[in-house]
Amino acid sequence: MSKLGSVVEAVDKYNKFVEDEVRRARTDKKFGQQMVNRWNEIKAKIPFGSAPTGLKLPRLALPEIDEAGDITRYLLGDGLPGEFPFLNGAYREMYLEPLQNPAIEIGAYEKNGHNGKSQNNGSKNGAKNSAKAQQAEEPTRLFSGLMLAEDTNERFHFLGAHQRSKRLSTAFDGPTLYGIDSDAPGILGKIGEGGVAVDTVEDMVRLYDGFDLGSPDFSASMTISGPAPIIMAMYIAAAKRRFGNDIVPKLRGTIQADIFKEVQAQNETIFPVEASLRFLTDMMEFTTREMPRWYPVSISGYHIGEAGSTPVQQAAYTLSNGFAYAEMMAARGIPVDEFGPRLSFFLDCGLDVEYIALTRVSRRIWAIGMRDAFGAGHKAQMFKVHTQTSGRSLVAAEFKNNLTRTAAELMLSYMNGTNSCHSNSADEPFTTPSEEWIRLAAHGQAILLDESGIFKHTMNMLSGSPGMKAVERAVEAAILEEFRQIEELGGVVAAIEHRYQRSQIQNAAHRYEQQIYDGTRPIIALNKYRNANEEPPEMELARTPKAKKQLQVDRLKQFKKKNAAKAEKVLEKLAAVAESDKNCFPTLLEAAEVCSLGQISACLQEVVGRFRPMV
Amino acid sequence: MASPIRVLTAVPICDGHDSAINTINLEFIRHGVEVVYLGYHRYAEDIVRAAIQEDVRAVGISSYNGGHVEFFAEVVKQLRKRGADDIAVFGGGGGTITHDDQRVMQKRGVDKIFFAGTSLTDMVGFVHERYGKAHKHNGRNGAPADMKLARKLTAIEDGYADGTKKQRNSKAAIRSQRSKIRNTKVIGFTGPGGAGKTTLIDELVLRLLQRDAKSRIAILSHDPSVVGAGALLGDRATMINSQHDRVFMRSMATRGQAGGLSPATADCLQLLAQSGFDYVIIETVGTGQEAMPFQSKLVDQTVLVMNPDYGARLQLQKIVMLDLADIIVVNKSDQDRARTAMSEIGRRVEQNGREQRVLATVAKRHRDGGVDQLCDLLTPLVRPMAKTSKKGQPK
Ligand code: B12
Repeated sequence: MSKLGSVVEAVDKYNKFVEDEVRRARTDKKFGQQMVNRWNEIKAKIPFGSAPTGLKLPRLALPEIDEAGDITRYLLGDGLPGEFPFLNGAYREMYLEPLQNPAIEIGAYEKNGHNGKSQNNGSKNGAKNSAKAQQAEEPTRLFSGLMLAEDTNERFHFLGAHQRSKRLSTAFDGPTLYGIDSDAPGILGKIGEGGVAVDTVEDMVRLYDGFDLGSPDFSASMTISGPAPIIMAMYIAAAKRRFGNDIVPKLRGTIQADIFKEVQAQNETIFPVEASLRFLTDMMEFTTREMPRWYPVSISGYHIGEAGSTPVQQAAYTLSNGFAYAEMMAARGIPVDEFGPRLSFFLDCGLDVEYIALTRVSRRIWAIGMRDAFGAGHKAQMFKVHTQTSGRSLVAAEFKNNLTRTAAELMLSYMNGTNSCHSNSADEPFTTPSEEWIRLAAHGQAILLDESGIFKHTMNMLSGSPGMKAVERAVEAAILEEFRQIEELGGVVAAIEHRYQRSQIQNAAHRYEQQIYDGTRPIIALNKYRNANEEPPEMELARTPKAKKQLQVDRLKQFKKKNAAKAEKVLEKLAAVAESDKNCFPTLLEAAEVCSLGQISACLQEVVGRFRPMV
Repeated sequence: MASPIRVLTAVPICDGHDSAINTINLEFIRHGVEVVYLGYHRYAEDIVRAAIQEDVRAVGISSYNGGHVEFFAEVVKQLRKRGADDIAVFGGGGGTITHDDQRVMQKRGVDKIFFAGTSLTDMVGFVHERYGKAHKHNGRNGAPADMKLARKLTAIEDGYADGTKKQRNSKAAIRSQRSKIRNTKVIGFTGPGGAGKTTLIDELVLRLLQRDAKSRIAILSHDPSVVGAGALLGDRATMINSQHDRVFMRSMATRGQAGGLSPATADCLQLLAQSGFDYVIIETVGTGQEAMPFQSKLVDQTVLVMNPDYGARLQLQKIVMLDLADIIVVNKSDQDRARTAMSEIGRRVEQNGREQRVLATVAKRHRDGGVDQLCDLLTPLVRPMAKTSKKGQPK
């Protein structure tokens, strides 16, 4: 049995445990009374805040139940926000407005930070429940990248201008995503399209110019997986150039580096899977030890969902990939409580009904799996997630409707308690967003979080409601069923080799398109209420001018010339280390100083081979 | 019945957006089209080479990561340069290809762009209507050898499809040709689905190309036709080393024939064997236990590729190819069961009392020693020094 099998068992067992406890609360008077008392205590401690209209509201909403069994089911089965199994939220207060006069200290609602399973192994996550009450930062994080480093830098400054915290999210262009240099023959049209061109450490310096990389208010996210360890090394090299060696432990951010989902959905793997995983764990080992504030992998379902999977497939493959990474790290001898808190997630949010609860359920399964199958403590149980609204749900026909779609998806994302969020621009089907539309996309989030009262005053807006529960139960059961399928094939890696996830996603994608064109899936203005006279819109396109592409090539050539001798030496060393079973990352750090991305990936491919794509 | 329409589909270099093309491939094959799928992240040069060798009627490109104006135009230009101007280029990229772009692209020779919001049915209809007719010429004078050969292969396949050709079983006829093709080694690969034949062959090709800087290789690979008579011919997508100027690859659909090959295979193989290649490699679709696909005397050596996890030992008795194959490869030998498999298979072939080799490989591993060994067994150790005579004639 792979670890995934134990996860399924753990969730089944936990669900049974909850029901047993419910029965006990109903039959064992003393225990029942204890639960009721706890419930009353919690309720008594809930602070009240007031809306601008003067309406007083509790900062935590709880279901109106008073029977011991129901209370037990809620507390153990769902958990309060910030408490195991985290169905309602990773943190206690998420996006709530800070209290004007905090009359009550913001700690746990309960004296000992109850964890839901105190009888069995409460010691693992018991007393030192250090859940932060609130998210310290604004959750808005917009994915951007266009043309050359200086252009993207300008976009970053434009987006960050009004935010307390600078949370950048970097999109790279095609050649960079595939570890290819801008001067490689045959790719000229792709430089700086769909993301920023990065070939060298010098580009990396330009890219984040003007930002204080070591500041606690700054974090950089980099969406790249195939060549992630190389790009990570370049980021560190660039930071050292600007701030000296001491910067390294202060660096904060995320690199996607998720190879499993690349093979399943996003198609940017450049080394054979085993080698990719090795370079990845090399990097993770380094960042876990040397960069305590860095998230070295973002386990992503977004790309799976966008490739056309169903929401359940998305969550199931993402979670199972996550458990597979945890298994790999554990196999390297890194303690689960060291690497667990450094794993983070990235999900899609579309308009299908599952999205009402998809993230909530994912959080619960992750927590139970990590605690009971991996023995993880509190921090390593928390599923921390970035959400992006669905790009695929946005269509070209009467594209301004995309504003409404994105708004609805944002609403769902925040209802699920996402920790950070990207909202797509309405011009998504056509181009990397122009300033006009990306500004509206950012404003969409501000309107929901700052302007509206929906998320400011009360946590748990829909928690425990009958509809929410129904969706949660159905989604959880379906995800576990997917786990069983994967387990039957021998676990995540074996299932990948069988093309299981890929073929499932492709079939779902085909069905989705078919449903659009046979009308069973209404898409407004495309197959319903279509305007037959619609003219193609005049869009502002973000396309990289030829001169800029040439500039990138010229800069790269100069860099290569300047560093030729040094590069040759360090590449030789890198090849030797890659040939051995030593950790490559320290040598990658050296190489990043003097070599281009393409030189390094070619050197590694020489040793480990190229990725063989799957259909 | 006329031959199914053959098209090639691909996604450009530095682009992994394959969801649209995967959906379109599925739709095409369910509506009678044979799709040679080259995969994502592909150079224009690879697309053009494949289109010519596969002799498709059209190339469908799905592009999302920008640069489409340049990329599509480059494919058209290279096709024209190589005399294949009758292979049309069409495609789409959702909203990323604008109407203005389309106008420029059409000026540069692109046939048709499908915008966001086109139904799958419309695309299938277009392909049937526009690409339903065969190419007009059989490779113009001065057309490259690849193209002439490709068009001859099409003629053979078409002959079987419309009934003008019937399968012969005249071994004698083939034997009489045999003397003409002594310089070509023909190797047949077969085995159950999922054993890793395609990967193994591609790794072998890499080694053959490296060992001899001049050698030329032909590959005839097979995939099953589906209900609706189309087929997804996807081996090229995984055979990355075989997309090479010294490799001629042709993907064939079984077109209703059981046993792992197509009705036209024997004739196609014969043509390839006479065309001056050093190696001709033929790969069957995944086969069952009773299959014995290589009846033709043209095949010099046969390789059975197996997965270590074939089930109980008793199953081995039923596999006919274990009696016939010259070499048995247990691929994926990094699996737990490999050791047992090797010894069980070893004992099974001992019964045959003839010289058969059993090898263990891990084809997916870079520079795998097992594949090196296989390569040694397939290449004659002493190769003729230089070719003194014209291609196709005995030395
Ligand atoms: C799905 C998607 C993804 C998925 C892809 C999953 C996969 N395996 O395919 C994921 C999330 C992985 C992804 C990643 C990226 N993406 Co993306 N992605 C999209 C998205 C949302 C939808 C595209 C799609 O598949 N639609 C479904 C298809 C079926 O419909 P359609 O596109 O409308 O196409 C129709 C016709 O044109 C026609 N058609 C299409 N192709 C062909 C081919 C033939 C032969 C025929 C006959 C017809 C045809 O068929 C369709 C049916 O009508 C678009 C935005 C959008 N809403 O369109 C962005 C988009 C294409 N992506 C974009 C970018 C930039 C990226 C990234 C580079 C981001 C980054 N920097 O990391 C990466 C690169 C990924 C890679 N490996 O190359 C940009 C491109 C911008 C540009 N060119 O200027 C877009 C436009 C989004 C944006 N505005 O920024 N992406």
